[in-house]
Amino acid sequence: MRTILLRALPYLLVGGFSVYLYGVAGRIEYHHRAGTIGPDFWPKLVLAMTIAVCLYETLRIVLSRGQRSGASGVLQNIVERSEARYGEGYQHVEARSPLLLVAGIALTAVYVWVIQRLGFFLATAPYVAVFIALGGYRRWTLNAATSLLGTLAMMYFFMKVVYVSLPIGGEPFAQVTFALMRLMGIR
Amino acid sequence: MDILQSLAAGFVQVFVPANFVALTIGLLLGLLVAVLPGLTLVMGVVLALPFTYSMDITAAIILLTAMYVAGTYAGAWTSILFHVPGEPIDVPMLWDGYAMARKGEAAKALGWTLVSALVGGLAAATVMVLLAHPVARIALSFSTPEYFAIIFFGLATVVSLGGGSLSNALISLFLGLLIATVGVDDTYGAQRFTFGVPILSDGIDYLVVMVGTFGLGEVFMRMEQRFRSAPLQSINTVATRLPTLREVAAAKSTFARGTALGILIGLVPGAGATVASFLSYGIEAQYGRRRKEMGSGIAEGIIAPQTAATSSVGGAMIPLITMGIPGSGATAIILGAFLLHGLQPGPQVFETSSHIVYAVFASLFVGVIGMCLIGYFAARYLVRILELPEVMVSAYVVMCCILGAFAARNNITDVWLIVVFGVVGYACERLRFPVAPMVLGVILGPLAETNFMTTMISFDNDWTTFFTRPISGTIMALAIVSLAYPLAQHLRRRAAGAAR
Repeated sequence: MRTILLRALPYLLVGGFSVYLYGVAGRIEYHHRAGTIGPDFWPKLVLAMTIAVCLYETLRIVLSRGQRSGASGVLQNIVERSEARYGEGYQHVEARSPLLLVAGIALTAVYVWVIQRLGFFLATAPYVAVFIALGGYRRWTLNAATSLLGTLAMMYFFMKVVYVSLPIGGEPFAQVTFALMRLMGIR
Repeated sequence: MDILQSLAAGFVQVFVPANFVALTIGLLLGLLVAVLPGLTLVMGVVLALPFTYSMDITAAIILLTAMYVAGTYAGAWTSILFHVPGEPIDVPMLWDGYAMARKGEAAKALGWTLVSALVGGLAAATVMVLLAHPVARIALSFSTPEYFAIIFFGLATVVSLGGGSLSNALISLFLGLLIATVGVDDTYGAQRFTFGVPILSDGIDYLVVMVGTFGLGEVFMRMEQRFRSAPLQSINTVATRLPTLREVAAAKSTFARGTALGILIGLVPGAGATVASFLSYGIEAQYGRRRKEMGSGIAEGIIAPQTAATSSVGGAMIPLITMGIPGSGATAIILGAFLLHGLQPGPQVFETSSHIVYAVFASLFVGVIGMCLIGYFAARYLVRILELPEVMVSAYVVMCCILGAFAARNNITDVWLIVVFGVVGYACERLRFPVAPMVLGVILGPLAETNFMTTMISFDNDWTTFFTRPISGTIMALAIVSLAYPLAQHLRRRAAGAAR
């Protein structure tokens, strides 16, 4: 029962969300012209098809007692046949670390949040250093050098060569960005 | 004659210093990206896009195209030498390429890869030059039902030819189409799914979805796996030994099959180099002269996937240039680069900007030869990038993703969206929902909707129009057949299983 529920969950969630969005699509405001379809038609069509496929998959999972889908794309068939004959293509990963994943996502979210406040350099150099450390790389000097020099190189390239205006940050952190820009000859 | 003259002018353009430097950088980046297992070809082209913002349009497109073609080649090196495919395209190389290397013929395997890429690339570039202008002329006569049918065909093939469950691919595609509807619609100007958030009125840029799902999503995936890669063997003895002309001539039918299939698959919007590579290997294993020896380390097992993968690039450039329809992730980014520089690819492009188009065409010839020369002389140095810690490369990949998203509109909301789509991309991978249909749905969704709505309005809501016009009807029928084929195959297998 647990397997069935777990396998059906993504389809129930996507299907449920699609039903909600179908309702939202029904409330799209526009000037209706007689005899023509409106701007809600296309999203409703897409949502109806999504709901239909989710419903089919849920029913299939329940009726087949949690079996994975049998119908697959042509590429999948070739891969399966070839792997059975010649050996596996990709090595399957056994060890996973959900904690590290959550930490990585959280770190990236924090980085996006602080980049406008601290400016590109002050936010990016520590981000790169912490990311590399989180990934298990423990040569600290090399890590520090890579993050500092890499960030400076990126800043120079984007601001001086490609002319992209990177976030400079709010006061007082903007002063650091301005000082670095002066040093690099960026106007 | 016109084509030859324009192509000659294109070659002159390629050797203009700025363009030639762009081509060389593109080739080197493409080869490096293909070698690194954590960095896919599409991801590499996505990451290179922001660096081209300030470049001249010709140089920008040449750089991205060079990356695209080189990306189909170098991943084979790591498959052959270390049993680590640099790209999904290169998985078939594990079966015969690595087997040949284990027999002590790694240099020969690399030689076959080089010749295959060269033959496939040059043949596809020639076909592209010959076909593009006539296709563009035909496309000029197309109306909205034909355009919708072509897009529908592309969306159908990405589902039917791809990997994984058909239902999951369909759901992924529908989600992509839905994401594309966010914002103000083109026909009525109505707000759709904006939920009162002003930035959503402009819609969700497909580049944001691509960078998030392909770039950040892949990094999150690798992070969860602790950036663990397969241990590599010593890389001191990388050399390339070219096959003799007699050996090449003996395999001419495999070259021809692989190239033809690659171009054909490339032409189909939705199918890309990976499909071409696998399909070509599958066909060789089923119908080739030495089909019984496939998997034991024979040249045909290398030629088939490599010629198809490289020749698919030339094929994929045809619908992009002539109709503005990108058929793969990489061509979608190249389309993005065209649009960022204010040029809309399509049938008219041969009238308005043929000098740019032919410069890009010529760059493909020079690029294919250049990448093979670099491969011959520098493969041993380029594979050393594998010694770089993957986590370090990933940290900069994330930074490039974020900078790329920010630079496009100078808007922090786009950066947040990238993180969201990074998580979505990761979740899709984990739950076995293929990402490619979603991305193609986001890219082709607006085109599909506009052409569908215009047809419905122009033809009094008569949906049979798509089926009754000769060209659109044929393409729609092909699309339906391509969708029904895997289903029929599944039912046949089930019936055979039940009979047993």
